[in-house]
Amino acid sequence: MKRIRTFCIIAHIDHGKSTLADRLIQHCGGVEDRDFRDQILDSMDLERERGITIKSNTISLDYEAKDGETYQLNLIDTPGHVDFSHEVRRSLMSCEGALLLVDASQGVEAQTMANMYLAIEHDLEIVPVINKIDLPSADIERVKEEIEEDLGLDSDEVVLCSAKVGTGIQDVLEAIVNQLPPPEGDPDGPLQALIFDAQYDAYRGAVLLVRVMNGEIRAGQRVRFMHTGVEHQVEEVGLLKLERVKSESLSAGAVGYVIAGIKSVSEINIGDTITGVEMPAEEAVPGYRESKPVVFSSVYPMASDEYLELTKALEKLKLNDAALIYEKDSSQALGFGYRCGFLGLLHLEIVQQRLEREYDLSLLLSAPSVRYRVTMTDGEKRWVDNPSIYPDPGSIDTVEEPFIKASVMMPDRYIGTVMELCRDRRGENTSFNYLSVGRVELTSEMPLAEVLFDFYDRLKSTTQGYGSFDYEMLDYRETDAVKVEILVNSEPVDPLAQLVHRDKARPRALHYCDRLKETIPKQQFKIAIQGTIGGNVIARSTINAYRKDVTAKCYGGDISRKRKLLEKQKKGKKRMKMVGNVEIPQAAFIAVLKTDSD
Amino acid sequence: MPETGFPPGNETEVPAGLYIHVPFCSSVCPYCDFAVTIAGEDRRAAWQKALHAEALMYADGGWAFDTVYFGGGTPSILDLERLADVVNGLRSALCINEKARYFLEINPEDASIRRIRAWSDLGFTFASVGLQSPDDGVLHFLGRRHSAEQGRLAIERLKEEHFRTVSADLIFGLPGQGPSDWRRQLEAVIQMGVDHISCYQLTIHDGTIFGRRRRAGVLREAPDDIQADLYELTHAVLADAGFEAYEVSNFARPGHRSKHNQKYWKGVPYLGFGPGAHSFDGTSRRWWNRGKLRLWQRDIEKGRWPLEDAEDLAAADLAFEVLMLGLRQSDGVDLKAVECRWGVAVIDPNRLVIERLVDNGLITVLGTRIQPTMRGMAVADGLAREFEV
Repeated sequence: MKRIRTFCIIAHIDHGKSTLADRLIQHCGGVEDRDFRDQILDSMDLERERGITIKSNTISLDYEAKDGETYQLNLIDTPGHVDFSHEVRRSLMSCEGALLLVDASQGVEAQTMANMYLAIEHDLEIVPVINKIDLPSADIERVKEEIEEDLGLDSDEVVLCSAKVGTGIQDVLEAIVNQLPPPEGDPDGPLQALIFDAQYDAYRGAVLLVRVMNGEIRAGQRVRFMHTGVEHQVEEVGLLKLERVKSESLSAGAVGYVIAGIKSVSEINIGDTITGVEMPAEEAVPGYRESKPVVFSSVYPMASDEYLELTKALEKLKLNDAALIYEKDSSQALGFGYRCGFLGLLHLEIVQQRLEREYDLSLLLSAPSVRYRVTMTDGEKRWVDNPSIYPDPGSIDTVEEPFIKASVMMPDRYIGTVMELCRDRRGENTSFNYLSVGRVELTSEMPLAEVLFDFYDRLKSTTQGYGSFDYEMLDYRETDAVKVEILVNSEPVDPLAQLVHRDKARPRALHYCDRLKETIPKQQFKIAIQGTIGGNVIARSTINAYRKDVTAKCYGGDISRKRKLLEKQKKGKKRMKMVGNVEIPQAAFIAVLKTDSD
Repeated sequence: MPETGFPPGNETEVPAGLYIHVPFCSSVCPYCDFAVTIAGEDRRAAWQKALHAEALMYADGGWAFDTVYFGGGTPSILDLERLADVVNGLRSALCINEKARYFLEINPEDASIRRIRAWSDLGFTFASVGLQSPDDGVLHFLGRRHSAEQGRLAIERLKEEHFRTVSADLIFGLPGQGPSDWRRQLEAVIQMGVDHISCYQLTIHDGTIFGRRRRAGVLREAPDDIQADLYELTHAVLADAGFEAYEVSNFARPGHRSKHNQKYWKGVPYLGFGPGAHSFDGTSRRWWNRGKLRLWQRDIEKGRWPLEDAEDLAAADLAFEVLMLGLRQSDGVDLKAVECRWGVAVIDPNRLVIERLVDNGLITVLGTRIQPTMRGMAVADGLAREFEV
């Protein structure tokens, strides 16, 4: 146990976490050079493409240190985005230490701080690492200062590296061995294994990733899941090298996998503790928190015959994504679909893209919504996260909406415009403090709903990319919400309906009308687009009819070509949704969620 | 596809259309994307020989024809002797009805009285004149070699020599063209006394001179709304003058429709000879010749079928084609007949679509026949996309 180190890497997006992970793996010979794919831990295409880690992956490495001993290093890769703090949390519970990665030119960012506080909360030992020191814009001294002042860490312990070019990798490995503590735990005590992640294997079902805190887990053993109370027979345990490597047992301090014939999604509860049926532990590993979705949206297949496939895809995705929740939903305009809960907008976007790419589905998502707390005139309280079930305004006493504490870190020259942005987004108690010379952290209490609509885009353009954003949930506050509906040729398009603050209703409705006008193709008749509140029109736009849509010549040979062209175009039409007699392309549903500027 | 083998026969009892592609021009127009070449007499002689050999390949296929169409290129530049040899060669090699109609595409600069009489003697009765415009400025822009006066004269002479139908091809939608200008052109052409007018919107194809000019940003097609205005104006002006819009781009006085072109639009079999020409057996196959004159000729010289490619058409493809083409014609299409002919459901799966298009004033229904309105014809492609076959 003395020669085990279990750690994670925490960093802001793009600060090079995956690249560093790759280098560590490569250095420890975890993978042959010729097999080496950049960013090997990010196994999903989507992650590779976006350059961010969504699903944590874990790997055990054998490292021969300068002291001559071989250490087992368990690297737990964690997601770097605020939406995924639940996954970060579970991963942190399995670690003794963390590498805190900071970009040598970007410096400390809001997410870096948020994740570090999480790590400290979990008693993790932290090794600060400055990455990308090869960049011409690297400013190591300034970043060291930030680490010392903003994060309160000892800058003498900072390790310098460039994962990209491969310098300083051994220093990082030595720091892991020398600065991080080995795991504690009693190998002979009652079994306590924390499930910190799960993967889905088409042949084996759920593969649980665990950190054994105490005791030992072995194949053949009967175990109980402490939160759900379900019992299973362990089929196989082993280590997570690049592939799964079967072993007889995993004992205290080990990180590995457990396969226990679990097929059903509902049986897995990530964060749960596994214990033995014989000699059970008295209590589960503390700190278990269910992650709560805060953003809701309905997902529909573009082709209604893909509903079954969507169902299956969601079931499978849920195996890999414990935070995703969903239930059946239906729309007048779009037919059957699912109401899904997400941890944030990025989570929503990622789920959508995974469904589309990995399961080859073409989807349509309704306008994202937060969950409102509605008190009826008769005193009854209701949760409403779907505009379609928003009660009649006459029967509503008060409505409350969730507030967040938003934190933005940026160079101080942007403070004015960002404060204005926060005010525009109904921010309250906005304040700021200087972190270091020229750098400020602004905090503002604002409705989560205001962040859902193009806040990131606006922030990015306002601060020319220098602002970083993080938030935490605060409380519920009273609000004046109205339901804005969008009608196309007098037919309500329910996935476009949304609950918004009364002051924002008209501008939002106008934005929707304009965006739809741009994205719905001309059709053979005039299309009227209207935004309404309770039947009153507050915004409108019109799409004129297509008047000419015909090829001039069609003789002999052109006939085949013409037919094929029309057939191709007809296929394109299948990616449109019919609302009344109007075809609305998928792009229109996406475009309404974007700002005007892009 | 095999390079050798026998070309298909006519699988129906219906008389077919025969198309002869004459790939020669005296110059290439800047907007043209057809298979054409500027070649001397020796190449033309070789073409003639190969064409005859190609006709012989089909001699035993049960093909009978009642329309013969010489298109191009510029068929009217062939010298009279050669044209006569070609026509007579076809008559001897193939089964062409004695009363068959003969169609000839004519460039105004070729239409001397002597030639017109010779064409008439050969049996041509439908003259399709490449007028393009009655306006010298437009002709210059289009890179045509004839003048407005030559065009007017050609039509006058063809009428004097009693061509049964004299047709003019016109191009509209030129950059900067407005309704009053186009109306004036249409009226001038009507004044010439033509019986048939084909009006084509200027389409800029990649790989033409206009295509290159468009890429360079110095030329572009007129905006959609203007195109639509001009198209509607065309219908209004020609309807007033007694022309019926029997197809998207074709207008005829009663009795003057192009019987040959209608074959393409009604699913009737046709054979095409010459480079790039297309053929259809009437039931399941469409095939087309090599587009390059040399390659087409070489195949034939080696006794091979000069096939570029062929396509087997499923019943649903054919039904959709007839429907798609029907929506481009004032006659429309009898859906029941389509169902019976190809054995696929058309009416039931499209009931709602038909209802909607009728409501929107784009088609009318007469029994089991649907017909596009003028507005419908202008969006015929859009109509066809609505249907499921």
